[in-house]
Amino acid sequence: MDSPAANAAFAKQININFPLLSDMNKKMLKEYGILKGYDVQNETYQWAQRANIVIDKNGVIQHIEEGDSAVDPNTAMSVCTDLHKKQTTK
Amino acid sequence: MRHLLAAFLLLSLTNALTFTPAQTQKPEVAKTSLKVGDVAPDFALLSDQWKTVKLSDYRGKKNVFLAIYVLAFTGG
Repeated sequence: MDSPAANAAFAKQININFPLLSDMNKKMLKEYGILKGYDVQNETYQWAQRANIVIDKNGVIQHIEEGDSAVDPNTAMSVCTDLHKKQTTK
Repeated sequence: MRHLLAAFLLLSLTNALTFTPAQTQKPEVAKTSLKVGDVAPDFALLSDQWKTVKLSDYRGKKNVFLAIYVLAFTGG
């Protein structure tokens, strides 16, 4: 839920080559069911659950990780690699 | 008298500790209803270049790795 401006500054800083997206109105997070609500002193704050989701070329979900297990991207990365291999050998 | 005051202060301190209600409630755990094999819902989000990126832009072209991180890049 960082703003596009904050993301742009960060992308420049570490020189990344994929888009950093912002869900400022939390619409996508709600739709994906990964918006988490915290009640602190009678106020509700909402932010996203950490998640890694791999979606193939046909738009089908191939892998989902949530919470603490999503901190490490390696499993999702290997799913991507396997997917790519499968598609190129077909 | 000083002793008494000290004891009273200590008591009020322990009282404060005992009777302070828990300020934070247990977080409501979000769990996605999406499953492997489901078609991922399309979305349109603003990129760091202020361009709209849709999931459907990649349909038939590329596999997509969505990494949802909260304030991961701002040091916050």
